[in-house]
Amino acid sequence: MSSEQETTSPPAASGTPALAGSGGNGAVSPPGGRPDGSRTGGRLSAAVTNFSLVFIWIALIVLFGLLEPDTFLTMDTLRTVLADQAITAIMALALILPIAANQFDLSIAGAMGLAIVLVGEFMVKAELAPALTVILVLAAGVVVGLVNAFVVVGLKVNSFIATLGTGSILLAMQQWISGGEVITSGISEAFKNLGRTTIFTIPTPFFYMLAIAAVLWYVLDYRQVGRYLYATGSNADAARLAGVRVNRLASIALVVSATVATIAGIIFMMRIGSTSLDAGTPYLLPAFAAAFLGATQFKEGNVNVPGTLVAVYVLATGVKGVQLMGAPFWVDDLFNGVALIVAVALAVRSGRQRSMV
Amino acid sequence: MESVLEIHGLSKTFPGQKALDAVDFDLRPGEVHALIGQNGSGKSTLIKVLAGYHQPDPGATATVAGEPFTLGSAASAFAAGLRFVHQDLGLVPALGALDNLALGRGYSKGATGTISWREEAERGRRTLRQLGYDFNLKTPVSRLSASERTGIAIARALEDWSDTVKVLVLDEPTASLPAAEAERLFEVVRNVRDSGVAVIYVSHRFAEVLDLSDRITVLRDGVRVATTAASELDEGGLIELTIGRALKALEAAHEIPHQTRAGDPVLAVRGLSGRVVDGLDIDVHAGEIVGVAGVTGSGREEIADLVFGAAPRGGEVIVHGEPVPAERPDACVRREMALVPSERLSKAALRDMTLRENVTIGRIAPFYNLIGLSKRAERAAADEWLDKLDVVPRDSEARLITLSGGNQQKVMMARALRLEPRVLVLDEPTQGVDVGAKASIHEIVEEAAQGGAGVLVMSTESEELIGLCDRIVVLINGKALREFRPSELTADELTELTMREDLSVAGG
Repeated sequence: MSSEQETTSPPAASGTPALAGSGGNGAVSPPGGRPDGSRTGGRLSAAVTNFSLVFIWIALIVLFGLLEPDTFLTMDTLRTVLADQAITAIMALALILPIAANQFDLSIAGAMGLAIVLVGEFMVKAELAPALTVILVLAAGVVVGLVNAFVVVGLKVNSFIATLGTGSILLAMQQWISGGEVITSGISEAFKNLGRTTIFTIPTPFFYMLAIAAVLWYVLDYRQVGRYLYATGSNADAARLAGVRVNRLASIALVVSATVATIAGIIFMMRIGSTSLDAGTPYLLPAFAAAFLGATQFKEGNVNVPGTLVAVYVLATGVKGVQLMGAPFWVDDLFNGVALIVAVALAVRSGRQRSMV
Repeated sequence: MESVLEIHGLSKTFPGQKALDAVDFDLRPGEVHALIGQNGSGKSTLIKVLAGYHQPDPGATATVAGEPFTLGSAASAFAAGLRFVHQDLGLVPALGALDNLALGRGYSKGATGTISWREEAERGRRTLRQLGYDFNLKTPVSRLSASERTGIAIARALEDWSDTVKVLVLDEPTASLPAAEAERLFEVVRNVRDSGVAVIYVSHRFAEVLDLSDRITVLRDGVRVATTAASELDEGGLIELTIGRALKALEAAHEIPHQTRAGDPVLAVRGLSGRVVDGLDIDVHAGEIVGVAGVTGSGREEIADLVFGAAPRGGEVIVHGEPVPAERPDACVRREMALVPSERLSKAALRDMTLRENVTIGRIAPFYNLIGLSKRAERAAADEWLDKLDVVPRDSEARLITLSGGNQQKVMMARALRLEPRVLVLDEPTQGVDVGAKASIHEIVEEAAQGGAGVLVMSTESEELIGLCDRIVVLINGKALREFRPSELTADELTELTMREDLSVAGG
């Protein structure tokens, strides 16, 4: 069979140039960054799918703006959504590196919860300085990641099972370390202010989240390790034979995810100012939903930073809108559950389920 | 005696190629009937038509035990009592023999639908005993020996030993078995035959075919050239039938001693051992292209993985005088080795990534500028290689999956060559590549060698090895029996050598 017959060269992109100017995505797509989307997208339909989340977002804003003009289109709503979702977004960002390398990390909820408990223990019970507390808690997060890496790479336990297990262990540790008590007072005011002050009226956690996103985006798109992570996720055997140390990459991904989840816990403490047990678990499913939904955007099936951020805020906008219309509280869980399934189903349909399961 | 299976005038035409041309075939009850032929002779096509995977051209007739039989239908093949064991056995590695036996047909159940484990165990043990096996039926298949696994696959195909099963087709069952394991399997095949099931046995190993089978049918270029009693043939005669001409008196005079080149080799393989490969020594010098020829099952298909540390190995691989650690492909790459694996889809292709990313994955560091990876520089490098290898489309941002197989293979070559390796390991480098691409790949490999790389090429294509290599090692049953200079051989002679264990066969 001749090669020409099999070659499917994409037809000239008729719809792509318009996309560069399509509003909304400029805010989230890295400046001058990924030309891949438009260059390889080729066909209009592919390009639309590739950026559809941005259009859905705009549609949601317009819809709720028309339905609830008094409450929805306000700075207050904008501020709440941006700030409330910062921690969810950080948790979703934590998942990006493992998912890129085709690994799961279900223990991020436990890592975040442990960080929350440890901040209270170190700062209030041990009366350590806030700076030292943060350093120690981050170190604990790295240790959690190293343990995950040991179980996945060293003991060769499937990452889904491994982190399901370590996540449960982390939950137990939260109870054990805290003795079941929550700490409601004694957290340093200076520490809390780090999470409560605003810049341009937007609370600081949003900016912490942007900083983490920027670092991860840079690493994934502009450093060798990012390329290696995607290659490992694409075909681990091929990556290994091309010289990539796939085990080391998987370890790095799991250490980063645990550390970023730990940062989410620290920021949670800055904002809330008191500990709670198992505070991480409510963030787990929204994080996965956003990461997988985001994977359908910009990078054609590969999990990525801009896609994840857009997904977090699309989901949040939808939830906020229906809540303002008087929907019950559980709509949040409903939205995220449906989004997770839809996202992965879309990925499977486009033949890209590799990174999804 | 009435035939179990009789085929008349079977043809199969693929676009541009007649794979089978009016082939007749008959199988007698209680015989092992070997089907022999080179790659492309049509024997796989014949098996696939029998299994119902391919539709034959109109005009062929077939009977099974005297009853008319529809070729090209999986359902009628099963109903007629034809059973197939393919090279990939299709077992679930984590489950034991019992479960693997039950998976296809269903478990024996009691009145309430509960699995009757006692009945299952008895049934399984009985079946395997008939084959001559006695091992724990609950041991996961992955922990059993290769011949035991094949045994389970055979048992599953034959289960019940009732009148319904008439024909068992074994497609290269020994291809990945070491000699001792193969011996056990032959016992099993004889047991099957003695129980009254006729066996069609496909193999590349001539010695075992002569030993095991009652009759032999030889195909060449889609035509049946002979059906003969095995007792009337010797190895030389069988090779002559397969390659279609008289054997030449290939004497050891053609052989060249090891270490014909001065200086130290860039790649020295010492006592390399794997599943089939057994104590292999190969030297490759700078600028030299060394080929390894061998039939499927000779161990040829293992060598690339063993040398590159992709599979557990015995022995040493020494690059520029220093041993490379085993099972560390990354260490190989750092020591300036590069590999183009044979199984592109599973071992080389990053299918959902771009051509640029596929080409550069081996070494990305040169593209760093002050702020990070420069996609512009990377794209330029990738484009240069796509140009050099004439990849279509020449779009470094296209995804690999959108390319044809031949073009994908060129991208894999580009990935390896871009590293400017001192040692280049190529496993079937032009498999599935069109003629033009093949020539350009060969040219590029020769260029790499002229640039000082030592190249080790494994190939099933004798023409490729003859045209490309400075030296060719012939691998038989895991051992490098002989070494030749290609100038002293024709491709046909090389093919013949890969089949001949014994050079002193009286043939020509």
